Amino acid sequence: MEQSIRYTPFFLLCGVLIVSLIVGLLSRRSDRGGYGVQVRSIGHASIGAAIASNWMSAASFLGIAGVFFLNGYFAFAYILGWTGGYVLLLVLMGSQIRRFGKYTAPDFVEARYDSSVARVFSAVIAIVISLIYCVAQYKGIGMVFAWMFGIDYTQALVFGTLITFVYLVVAGGLKAARNPQMHYLVLIISFVVPLMLIAKKLGYNWLVPQFSYGRALRDLPEQVSNAYLFPWTFGSPYEWIALCFTLMVGTAGLPHVLSRFYTVPNNRDARWGVVWGLFFIGLLYWSAPAFGAFARTWLTNSGTILTPADSQALADIIVIKTAEWVGLNEIFVSVLAIGGILAAISTITGLLVTGAGAISYDIYYRLINPKATESHLLLVAKGATLALALLVLVIAVNPPGLIAQITAVAFALAGNTLFPVFLLGIWWDRANKYGAIAGMMVGTIITFAPILLGNLIPTLRTILPPTSSALVGAPVVILTMIIVSRLTPPPPERLRRFLVEKVHSP
Amino acid sequence: MSQTNEQEPPSRDDLRINFFRPRAGFMRKEVTIIWITLAAWAIMTFGMPIHLALTHSDPTRTLAEVPYIFGIPAYFWFSGQFLILWFIFLCFIFNVLIDWLSSSYRRRR
Repeated sequence: MEQSIRYTPFFLLCGVLIVSLIVGLLSRRSDRGGYGVQVRSIGHASIGAAIASNWMSAASFLGIAGVFFLNGYFAFAYILGWTGGYVLLLVLMGSQIRRFGKYTAPDFVEARYDSSVARVFSAVIAIVISLIYCVAQYKGIGMVFAWMFGIDYTQALVFGTLITFVYLVVAGGLKAARNPQMHYLVLIISFVVPLMLIAKKLGYNWLVPQFSYGRALRDLPEQVSNAYLFPWTFGSPYEWIALCFTLMVGTAGLPHVLSRFYTVPNNRDARWGVVWGLFFIGLLYWSAPAFGAFARTWLTNSGTILTPADSQALADIIVIKTAEWVGLNEIFVSVLAIGGILAAISTITGLLVTGAGAISYDIYYRLINPKATESHLLLVAKGATLALALLVLVIAVNPPGLIAQITAVAFALAGNTLFPVFLLGIWWDRANKYGAIAGMMVGTIITFAPILLGNLIPTLRTILPPTSSALVGAPVVILTMIIVSRLTPPPPERLRRFLVEKVHSP
Repeated sequence: MSQTNEQEPPSRDDLRINFFRPRAGFMRKEVTIIWITLAAWAIMTFGMPIHLALTHSDPTRTLAEVPYIFGIPAYFWFSGQFLILWFIFLCFIFNVLIDWLSSSYRRRR
């Protein structure tokens, strides 16, 4: 498709990676004294920026615009699912889980359900969630690198993974502390500023492209315009609601989102941080559909016709393509590409660390070799990171869908397993380990049945679309947990007393 | 209805926790706040697609008939932009209410 290498984004990328390493090194040196000590006086906005930067992955940066470009109104199911989920998280369990005082999903599950089997189950689920989530990020990296070097996707994927991994090892070896506020600022600026310039080039209000893309949609030929504006062109109401609901409960059950509640000194600050976090995430999601709309505007204006297959292939880098098509300065096109890569790399880093931690501690140490020394565990963790990274690479060679769709499967798994386990663990004292284990098993089956058996039993995919299985799945799992818990002995009294006195007291 | 219950805190031996039958006092008020927020969340998020599904099935007629705001169909703007604001607002209100509730209970203790 593309032949020549694009030098501007490449050099800019090298520059950004080197600068971030240097900044990491310097900041490490300057706060050596207070390493690991939480600063009390961080403002709510800064906590919010940290939440948003933790959240912004390739799915937000590249994926959403692609879905809007292909599916119009249907993309709002993603946008609302990935924002409304925070309401669910905050309202139903943010404070309670924090008062519970366990920092990872497996820790919580073991402490609440008093069972190491349940712990292993939840650890495996957390690892699989990380894996699926990572596949989507890798796809983003592969697509952007393919565009940058004019090589094919698989080569770009291997090359991109290599660069990511080298960066990860070097940054990890230096313990380069990432500054989340700065990271958010860089990402949002590199997303919104090029968008404003695109709007200007196309002759729409450039100050608020988040509004003017509506005008752009209306200006399209009637048939195209209607397809974008009409809610049910690209998906049925059931599909829309199921997807939106799945992403919401998935957000509330996602381990790495939840752990953000702990990196803040107190409960109240964490709650108020969410308000800001939502606003910062909103800034990105208000803007993302505009890329899709302006891409369509340019295609129409220039008389370019894309086949459905071409559109599908370009959707995940439509953000970058739009900038290139309308003739933005190369620098701004590069900025978008690098923003996408940075969002993906930072997410991969977080996920691989979580995944490797679960393997080395929750599975290896707790299950296989309880006598392992710390340095031995570190070795296992490093090996696990490498193994996970390779496994993700193998899956990502044939990506099963769009970035946003792959990510949604990870949310479906979280919504079908960890969400019910957290929810009942907090709001029902009677939920016990048998219920939790049965629930997680049923949830896993519900998530993967439509993917594995969908070709044999097509109705399965209609009722449980792989990206949206939690609308049916989460209630079924909750019901399973309730029935199984009722049929088996209640959890020990000390646990229930802990719930009453610690978790549910002001 | 729950006034009498609120006066006497649940006994130390009562360890029941159930979202649908919250304990008297702090938890009951907290759950009330949660229910209100959840209702405002669910109705706005899923009410619109359900409404659209029931009333709008024909693209050309729909787009000719629905109200417009900022140059686009109102429901489109509602889903694409307003709801995120609404979520932020809900979190804000929830936090204000919980702050008020926990400070009033801390003072009482």
